[in-house]
Amino acid sequence: MRKAILRLVPPAMGSITPLNRFRRLDGSQIRAILHAVFILALMIAALATPGFLSGPALQSLLTTISFIGCVAVGMTLVTISGNILALSLGATVGASALVVIAASNRSGLAEAIPLALMFGSMVGAVQGALIGCLRANPIIVTIATSVLIYGAAQPITGNAAFYAVYPTSDSLLNARLLGMPIEFVVFVAILLICQFLLSFTVFGRNVFMVGDSFNAARAAGLRPWATIIGAYSCAGAFSAIAGIMLALRYGRASMEFGLGYDYSAIAAVLVGGTAISGGQGSAIRTFAGMMIIGIVQVVLLLQGFRQEWQYLITGVIVLGVVLLSPPAGR
Amino acid sequence: MQQSGSGAILSIRGLTKRYAGATALNNVSFTLQAGEVRAICGENGAGKSTFVKMLMGIVQPDGGIISVAGTAHEIRDALQAQSLGLGLVAQELSLAPDLSVLDNIWLGSTEVPFFHRRSSLRARAQQALATLGVGDWDLDRTVGALSIGQRQIVEIARLLARKARVLILDEPTATLSDIEIEKLMQVLRAIKARGHSIIYVSHRLGEVFELCDSVSVLRNGEHIVTKPVRELTRESLIELMLGRAFEEMYPERADASAAHHGGLRIKNLHVPGAVEDLSVTAPRGKILCFAGQLGSGATAVTRALAGLHDKATGDISIDGRTIRLGSARPILAGEVVFVTEDRAGEGIFPELPVRDNLVVSKLAICSRWGVISWRAVRKLADDLAAQVTVTCAHLGIKSGYLSGGNQQKLLFARAVGRATPAVLVMNEPTRGIDIGARAEIYRLMRRLCGEGYVLLMASSDIEEVVGMADIVVTLYRGRVVACYEGAAVRMPSILRDIANPDIPDGQVA
Ligand SMILES: Nc1ncnc2c1ncn2[C@@H]1O[C@H](COP(=O)(O)OP(=O)(O)OP(=O)(O)O)[C@@H](O)[C@H]1O
Ligand SMILES: [Mg+2]
Repeated sequence: MRKAILRLVPPAMGSITPLNRFRRLDGSQIRAILHAVFILALMIAALATPGFLSGPALQSLLTTISFIGCVAVGMTLVTISGNILALSLGATVGASALVVIAASNRSGLAEAIPLALMFGSMVGAVQGALIGCLRANPIIVTIATSVLIYGAAQPITGNAAFYAVYPTSDSLLNARLLGMPIEFVVFVAILLICQFLLSFTVFGRNVFMVGDSFNAARAAGLRPWATIIGAYSCAGAFSAIAGIMLALRYGRASMEFGLGYDYSAIAAVLVGGTAISGGQGSAIRTFAGMMIIGIVQVVLLLQGFRQEWQYLITGVIVLGVVLLSPPAGR
Repeated sequence: MQQSGSGAILSIRGLTKRYAGATALNNVSFTLQAGEVRAICGENGAGKSTFVKMLMGIVQPDGGIISVAGTAHEIRDALQAQSLGLGLVAQELSLAPDLSVLDNIWLGSTEVPFFHRRSSLRARAQQALATLGVGDWDLDRTVGALSIGQRQIVEIARLLARKARVLILDEPTATLSDIEIEKLMQVLRAIKARGHSIIYVSHRLGEVFELCDSVSVLRNGEHIVTKPVRELTRESLIELMLGRAFEEMYPERADASAAHHGGLRIKNLHVPGAVEDLSVTAPRGKILCFAGQLGSGATAVTRALAGLHDKATGDISIDGRTIRLGSARPILAGEVVFVTEDRAGEGIFPELPVRDNLVVSKLAICSRWGVISWRAVRKLADDLAAQVTVTCAHLGIKSGYLSGGNQQKLLFARAVGRATPAVLVMNEPTRGIDIGARAEIYRLMRRLCGEGYVLLMASSDIEEVVGMADIVVTLYRGRVVACYEGAAVRMPSILRDIANPDIPDGQVA
């Protein structure tokens, strides 16, 4: 028996060594500390990078994260509702962009935008119905949807882009609010709407409950399936907004628009600290995650790292954060 | 190194654990002799599970010394506890359902080599089962096919096979039926006879007096007293646990409910594979109990009424209005409130604060156009918490941290504070709940009766059925055996009905 203990004199239990003190912190405290340290380091790196604070770099950072950010906010809703991750949002972005360009060429923007929004939320609702009512596996459903959308788009577009007949006016594209690009303003609005939904509406609270325990929600007399359909519809609509903004900015649309957005959005959600197991998280956190990833990428770019390195380092950060997060279902 | 009393196998000094909200255990000391069977009793949240988790290295103490066989150890993890000869059967079972009995017995053991189909391991597993009097079990059966009581025994065999000297059992009988409990008692007595020490955590005092040599009482994390069982009576033990005199477990039945009309009528209820052709009427203001053993269909009836059984059919009406089965409709419409037996799996929302758990289905009345007024929510939650007497540091802590009794009260909060009296359907409403909280829940049930609720409950605890029911429907293998009302509700006839109704009256002692 004694063999189990190599040390001859065990330390008294109450003694407070620095290591002991560290061990006594629970997972969330350690995480908070590491987060803070990381963000501080990032700030220093950003400020020390020449050109970071100059207008163009910052502007392009804000514009870029706005597109992915809309998707990430939708992804947050889906994740909190307990459905791990949606891998169809990138495809929804591309398809919505196609819809808005095609429709605006035919009958003008005023009709095209609501149509594209409706399209996005319908695509989400169908997936939500499959997942919420039939309890189909969310990853399989969303991957299948994504494949379906890419497959369906191919014969329609013939792998070419759709071009807008009437390009968006420059005055709209260059519009600024408090010095921020219009896309960023839209993104922040969506973020606030989503956070409002989560914190202050019955729907939002239901999302948390369903995400924490689907069975408990059912036994309590909530409508978990309806909540899940709602969450996916919102995610679809938010992705459609990203698609619309991309289409308007570039005056064209193609299925390449949403490519890779799923993964970047997932990274933002995870880095922000929304629980993969559902029931916990917030849109604001995802915003923080989005900013962190965005800043890292700009710093890397300005420091002269190549694209591949950017992906690699972003991946490492996501992995690190996921490893630090407490095990699910504690 | 610290030496303690001669035969002491386990000696604990000043064990303390603090959580953000509360002190779970404060300065607890006691000594366990080799071969002693010690009960640990206390209310929900007294710190019993925290205590055993610290012995097993699952939770790290904030202070204190644990000595095993005279040597102080800092127990860092379960593996180390295992090597010291400590073994735990946790409150939540930890077997892998898809693996065989043999695999489960050796799962996670430090002795197992990489290729582990060794005949010696097989022989030792067989021997452990034989020690427990179940040597005839097939080692290759998958654990998923065993009943909960049998799994419990596999867990114990697993500890014996690892040469555990101190067996720690945390509420092993909470989810067992009477027959399975008897079997487990036999097994534990066999282990005791072989000189193992046992630490036995339970809310069932009958078992404590039957099995244990001595009792340690915890209250609010403090060690109150350790006494030999023979110096205690049931009443004095309850008093030590609660810290006050305990008056009456079961509140008085309300007198004839002339004030209430209507109720729930069930006609020809069928649940495939569980219930056949059940018809009963439950009037408002009364408690109707379905009594039956595991597999009698009592649970299935309650789940069907709650809309959680897809294939249930039958004519159900409340006050003459027909409600639909087979979907969660009646719950959704707010006419039926369901209290599950599976608190962790489909009861509470463990990651969400207590406050959210209190107002779950009542968010609509705190909101306008779907927008919540948090002020109204807070007010409602405070009110509900007071009505069902939840005790916790504050309503913002995760409900998963609450003790079992308080979690159960959160479920009952869904029934109270309604505009119109509903139908409350309960399944094992007091499983794993301490005596004090039990009495409170019973009082609450009576109060709801007075308000004109229909109360239906399925219970395998016959004492509870006799103590609470106005009407008892006994079930055996999915069929109604008999229905008793008022003074006819008596223990012997119920026991006979649920055990085997085919034996005629006279032959039962
Ligand atoms: N991780 C945690 N964080 C905060 N408080 C906790 C945590 N775990 C337990 N507690 C608190 O510690 C106290 C003791 O809990 P414990 O589970 O030991 O009670 P118990 O005696 O086993 O109760 P029961 O009879 O319900 O099983 C409770 O008040 C509980 O709320
Ligand atoms: Mg416990």
